[in-house]
Amino acid sequence: MPDVVIPIGPQHPALKEPVNFRIIADGEKIVRLELDLSYNHRGIEKAAEQRDFIRVLPLLERVCGICSHSHATVFAKGIEEIMGLSIPPRAQYIRTIIAELERMHSHLLWLGVAAHEIGFNTLFMWIWRDREAVQDTLEEMSGNRVHYNMNEIGGVRCDLTAAQVDAALSRLPALEERIKKYLEMVNSEETMLIRFRGVGRMSKEEALKYGAVGPTARASGVDYDVRRDDPYLAYAEVPWNVVTDTQGDVYSRTRVRIGELWESVQIVRYCLENIPAGPIRVNTPRNAPKGEILSRYEAPRGELAHFIRTNGTDKAERLDIRSPTLANWTSVAMCLVGQNLADLPVIVAAIDPCLACTSRLTVVNRENRSGVVVVRASLNGSILPGRVDMERP
Amino acid sequence: MAAEEAPVGHGYEGLPGDTMTSSVTIDIVKERMKEFWPAEQVRVNRILVKTMPDKIHDAIGAAQTLLGYNRLITISTMDNSETFELLYNLIAPHRIIITLAISLPRSQPTTPTVSDILPPAGIYERQIHDLSGITFAGSTGLKKNILNENWSGDEQPLHKEWKHGPYTFYGGINRERS
Amino acid sequence: MAVLAAGLILNLVNRARMTSPWITFFNSGACNACDIDIISCLMPRFDLERFGILAKGSPRHADILIVTSHVTLKQASRLRRVWEQISELKHVITMGACGASGGVFHGLYHMMDRVDKVIPIDVYLAGRPPCPDEIITAFVTCLHLLEEDPDHGGKEWRQKKPLSGMDTKGFPVIP
Repeated sequence: MPDVVIPIGPQHPALKEPVNFRIIADGEKIVRLELDLSYNHRGIEKAAEQRDFIRVLPLLERVCGICSHSHATVFAKGIEEIMGLSIPPRAQYIRTIIAELERMHSHLLWLGVAAHEIGFNTLFMWIWRDREAVQDTLEEMSGNRVHYNMNEIGGVRCDLTAAQVDAALSRLPALEERIKKYLEMVNSEETMLIRFRGVGRMSKEEALKYGAVGPTARASGVDYDVRRDDPYLAYAEVPWNVVTDTQGDVYSRTRVRIGELWESVQIVRYCLENIPAGPIRVNTPRNAPKGEILSRYEAPRGELAHFIRTNGTDKAERLDIRSPTLANWTSVAMCLVGQNLADLPVIVAAIDPCLACTSRLTVVNRENRSGVVVVRASLNGSILPGRVDMERP
Repeated sequence: MAAEEAPVGHGYEGLPGDTMTSSVTIDIVKERMKEFWPAEQVRVNRILVKTMPDKIHDAIGAAQTLLGYNRLITISTMDNSETFELLYNLIAPHRIIITLAISLPRSQPTTPTVSDILPPAGIYERQIHDLSGITFAGSTGLKKNILNENWSGDEQPLHKEWKHGPYTFYGGINRERS
Repeated sequence: MAVLAAGLILNLVNRARMTSPWITFFNSGACNACDIDIISCLMPRFDLERFGILAKGSPRHADILIVTSHVTLKQASRLRRVWEQISELKHVITMGACGASGGVFHGLYHMMDRVDKVIPIDVYLAGRPPCPDEIITAFVTCLHLLEEDPDHGGKEWRQKKPLSGMDTKGFPVIP
């Protein structure tokens, strides 16, 4: 029987980003998946070599609109380490506050989109209404709802006034209550449990083998979190916990993200209450000395790694971005095999794909006669490169 | 700065079957990987080992079995004028990153693939092939997949001397205008 | 008489379009900041649906197309195809500095030079990204255009004049 190929093209209402899925399905079960992700390739890495450190930060912020602060901070932190600067603690705390607010807005966005994917539009509307509180806080502090542009090499751009701190603190209790309510809903609401539980399951060994990062990996029990392993900004001074879960399905990923939301609220509250006084930036030299660094950061979607090499001028010689969604695509391709067609949006949304970050894309798959694709799972579970023949018996 | 501390084993219970409970120091790496080139500590938690392209497969295998590295962070590329450099960054539960660096001559940029022992490497290898032109022998699926369908096959955007066109200013500041 | 009836029907159709335009989005390689702001417009804070604006997935159901981002080379043909699928009378809004000139992405190797080369644009919205209030302003401007265009006999009165070359300093000359 010939294969049925279902193309979901670059313009589609599910994800608001251009991606081309070609799903080969046998009835309702997915047999193989082919992805074409290259619609977002903008050539940012090449452009970053032509701009000096002040001008490259706005470019890097626009790699992704949802995790914009992540890209700018990881670059700034890398360059500061190459230059050997020590950043004043007030700047670190402000960066941490913005980073955690960004994590909150990203997880709330994701939660709403996940609810939308299963058809639960009421929850979508409720969550995005609560998300406006986070956006208001960010707008008061930085001037914009997205693309905050708070970072400079050597510190932050603007300070927090006492009125802003009070306003932010006053919004947090209402958010906490809503987060508790969403956790209750995810745990007890029958519609959500049926659509999330057991869907897209990935075990701990598979998560490690395919290189999953972020909440996708933590939901399978893999205990990696860059904020704890390689502390940066103010995370070493703030008490917080890493959230993991054991099941590895979409339900676990939801719970991990809601747990991280809770932790983020606590971190923001601690930072706002205990922010030290002092300057917010230091003077930096114009040129960076020769060096290279692998700078890592825990973006809302996972571990973001920038490899920066400088050569004594005021521009970076090479900037290599490894975004978290890129690392997660293999694992999502593996967990889709054998699932129902209707679960495709939920499973893809569960890794929180940010295709703009993945602006250097890979996961190929142009179908030719032999069907060459990404990964191959053979009958005994070993992984061989080359043919993607993702049929499980 | 807080980033100078690398808390090893902080809050981490260890994966089942994992025998590396102590941190990996530069001496352990030097001893276990001594058939490859010498190791140096470039940062508190990162160790750099340079090796040859034909030994990279064994180097990664040794890192996985002898030192417990089980996760690939990324594969980065650099275009120096005469050589390409490839850096494989791996991490393990003990949180020390190891960077295995190889240099490829410009005229013959091929290297064996490591995606059979490290499955996530397949993604990065395809990406690097498309943008820089480095071929990974033994890897399938190396087709043009990032750039547009009409992109001509011999242009490698990440080469240093590649310019978009003679009269278009390329990102950054147009010196003639400012 | 027939002309009068036709004019009345046209008026009615136009009025329906003005009071309830349906929109569709096309993300042509963006950073997604504009897209989240568009979706925020539909959320309870800025609620566009109370004005009759409905967000539809398919371009065939829509009156207004919103294009985010500077078009990448790969998306250019897709954008043209999607635009051709929208039935007349249609309007296009480009969001942000990306749509106007490319913003930080101007001149990069995988981007088209100008979005105008792919499809004709009606409203350029400034901002990086525009906040939801400004997006609503763009819609209102679009609706005003819907109202004004029939008086001038179509869209031609506000077409941008083509550039007639560069002057000695390298700046384009607008006649």
